[in-house]
Amino acid sequence: MSLEADLAALRLPLLRFAQLQLRHDSMAEDVVSETLLAILEKPDGFQGRSSLRTYATGILKFKIIDVLRRRGREVPLEAQDEQGMDEALDALFAKGGHWQEPPAAWQQPEESLAQQQFFDKLQACMDRLPARTGRVFMMREWLDKDVEEICAELGITANNCGVMLYRARMQLRECLNHTWFGAAP
Amino acid sequence: MKLLPNCQEVSRLFSDGLDQRLPTADRARMRLHLVMCHACRNVSEQMQFIRQAMKRLGADGDEPPPRA
Repeated sequence: MSLEADLAALRLPLLRFAQLQLRHDSMAEDVVSETLLAILEKPDGFQGRSSLRTYATGILKFKIIDVLRRRGREVPLEAQDEQGMDEALDALFAKGGHWQEPPAAWQQPEESLAQQQFFDKLQACMDRLPARTGRVFMMREWLDKDVEEICAELGITANNCGVMLYRARMQLRECLNHTWFGAAP
Repeated sequence: MKLLPNCQEVSRLFSDGLDQRLPTADRARMRLHLVMCHACRNVSEQMQFIRQAMKRLGADGDEPPPRA
């Protein structure tokens, strides 16, 4: 297959990632186009080192980081969304901090990692996070940044960052629990 | 911190522990709670699983990894 055809097949998955992280369609289109262009300009860059997909994803991550850095402080606060999340999380616990309904184990979760439908659900669950919370979570878990870097880029405190990561993890756990692992809602 | 954190506090501690090294005393109290609480053990495993899934999301795009 030609490089053009390989890149054509990659374009949509790359675009999905960029949209998820940036929440902005035209910016996502831009970073993906820049990524494809970077590969076309130096087609030998990836040979022998990794798959084209891994290579392209690596470049895309750097492009996304650049955009996030540029617009780091422009994020709206969304206090209401975030407050709603806190209320939903509090509702999981009874007085005294015990689980209302103790979470059960997930059956063979590793097998899910081999299924595309699982990753679709994971993305759908991330889409339901408030945008800023989702972004902090993606910066931490997908871009593998540490908390200090995230705080510096977004201009938030470490505690605030910790709260958002906690909310994101708890809500994703709930969402996957109901939509994938089959717990009753 | 109280001698024994409750489930809500443990879920927060566990999340914090994924981002930073917890003080020894917090770690010990959290782990003692996990020894005694099956539900929190499930949740801690599930948070770790989500981290693992997120790494796969970045590494493999939408191409499912080959089945073992």
